[in-house]
Amino acid sequence: MIRLAFIQFMRAGRYAGAGTRIGLIFLLTVGIISLFVGKQFSQRQQQAVADVIEFQQTDFPRQAAIHRDDMGLLLYYLKFSVVNQTRPLTALAIGQRDVNPSVQSVTIRALEGQQYDADLTNPANLLLGNVDFSFVLVYLFPLLIVAFTYSIISEEKENGTWSIVAVQSRNLLGFVGQLFLIRLAVLLAVLLVIIGLAVPTLGTPLDGSLGLFLATSVGYVLFWFSVCFWVASLQRRSSTNAILLLGIWLGLLIVLPAGVNNYITARYPVPEAQATTQAQRKGVHEKWDTDKTATIKKFYAHYPQFRQVPVVAMPFDWRWYYAMQQLGDDESAEQAHELKQKLQQRETASRSIAQFIPTLHTQLQLGELARSGLGNQLRFMDYTGRFHEKMRLYFYPRIFTNAPVSAEPWTNFKVDTFADTAPSSPVAVLGPLLLFIALFTGLGWNRFRRTIYHL
Amino acid sequence: MLQAINLTKRYGPGQLPSLDALNLSIQPGEIFCLLGQNGAGKTTTINLFLGFLQPTSGQAIINGLNVAEHPQETKKFLAYLPETVMLYPNLTGTENLDFFAQLAGFRHTPDELHTLLSRAGLQTEAHGKRVGTYSKGMRQKVGIAIALAKQAKALLLDEPTSGLDPKASNEFSAILTGLAQTGTAILMATHDIFRAREVGTRIGIMRAGHLVESLSASDLTANELEAIYLQTV
Repeated sequence: MIRLAFIQFMRAGRYAGAGTRIGLIFLLTVGIISLFVGKQFSQRQQQAVADVIEFQQTDFPRQAAIHRDDMGLLLYYLKFSVVNQTRPLTALAIGQRDVNPSVQSVTIRALEGQQYDADLTNPANLLLGNVDFSFVLVYLFPLLIVAFTYSIISEEKENGTWSIVAVQSRNLLGFVGQLFLIRLAVLLAVLLVIIGLAVPTLGTPLDGSLGLFLATSVGYVLFWFSVCFWVASLQRRSSTNAILLLGIWLGLLIVLPAGVNNYITARYPVPEAQATTQAQRKGVHEKWDTDKTATIKKFYAHYPQFRQVPVVAMPFDWRWYYAMQQLGDDESAEQAHELKQKLQQRETASRSIAQFIPTLHTQLQLGELARSGLGNQLRFMDYTGRFHEKMRLYFYPRIFTNAPVSAEPWTNFKVDTFADTAPSSPVAVLGPLLLFIALFTGLGWNRFRRTIYHL
Repeated sequence: MLQAINLTKRYGPGQLPSLDALNLSIQPGEIFCLLGQNGAGKTTTINLFLGFLQPTSGQAIINGLNVAEHPQETKKFLAYLPETVMLYPNLTGTENLDFFAQLAGFRHTPDELHTLLSRAGLQTEAHGKRVGTYSKGMRQKVGIAIALAKQAKALLLDEPTSGLDPKASNEFSAILTGLAQTGTAILMATHDIFRAREVGTRIGIMRAGHLVESLSASDLTANELEAIYLQTV
């Protein structure tokens, strides 16, 4: 019977089964295109990283040769790069990685002005979003789930087959369940094919992250099936079901996320990164007109260890110059902290709210697993800050003593890589989805149990 | 096998009942034909036995089980043939029969499926064609085959011969008589007075939700029955 119900489903549609098969081919095609979008993204990232590595390897010795007598001036120019590691999984959910740069190159001058550079991106692409796998999953899969299931009982009633089905069946609810399971199996097969293709195409390792990514995707598909099951249990006409389900789609994917975004933006107003940059610049540039000893004094208050470093003659008063740069950061620290805190609050708030909106939750969690969300960006910024500090502390003593440039092994300064290892708890990722699946399946089942035979 | 006790259905509060305190009992082997005008309550009666409608009061009982309380269990004893049999247009006649038989828990070999369809009067060359290309009468025959395949103890028929040509209609009567002889209880709503007289063991005439006459078919000629019918409605 399952075989015949399956044939009946696959042959559905006006022209010899066009409906179902066209839908499936469309979804599979878009899914495969999404892998290529991801592949392109990942190649761009790899290229950018390769470029930066090569640049650093050739630029450092070159600069060192030009400024061989002046350590302070050399470090004015040298840019140390940090790469936010792109995993193969990132290509499946690009998230904010298209706006936020995956490579940050910082000099040891004031940090704040250097941290908020964004990548140059085609604004039209940003407007539409990337057609990556997460888009296909989050936005398109539900549409097909709705298209395949909105009329599961209603169409049989409208076409008149339901009465014979109801009388013939030994377990009518089980039969309805089978109709849903057939469609679920077909769509899960498409999902598995796409992710299966991602493994060789993107070189995704078969690890726990991929497992959780896959489980989240399956959970998301199940969530939509449970919603459709519940709507079917209301026993309305096909057209009503379709409108209801599309309304739910719009609500969960457009209206609610926009609303939540608005709320969070209003609730946690983020001071412009520009304000921080300005404060930092003001902090630096005021120092040109400030008494040098006052600047140095403040610098020693921050780094008492350099008080002991004897003053030596150099082409320019670099100790004062870098002190001035340092104070730019110190004086904008409050704004910088506030910015990060607000961003963190936004991240926390959207995660908490998303627990009640499965679509948003899935999107956030896929981004988190793919290391392409706001959380990853914040951790990357923190890491860049620590890296910058490390570089400063390494070079300050060398600049202040004007150590010989040639003594440094410049080719040893490799591009640093930030590997985001923030753990993902399967319970936190899958829990909310499972609860919603149980809720809607339960509601649907309960309603069906009472009314499944009613005309 | 089929029993109605004060079975009443009111579609809305304040409306006149579409079926008012129907009392009826159909034994195994009996063919009870319900006659009556459109809206007399025939289909309502059948839908109450099918559990598609909830009675306002009273009970519809199949094999001792109250339909309203045991919608699933009572289906085991039932087969149903609606006025217009609708099937899956994308499946062939054989596939449709196979599907509905499997729903009821029966697995038939292709040979058995063809035999059933032929017994129901469907021409052999149509068995493998998609039902989308069938006429109403051909679908009706597949519906008969589906009902036959279930070997149910009770058969509910709602104007089953509408759309059948006279020959097919005649063959259908023979099938019904055969089923009754093997102990099936049959309730048939129909407009066909002559066929009712021919196959029925008892004939009920309904008017405005009431069963106003219940006659033994063998005591009447078709003409007498028609006269009574016209007087009654």
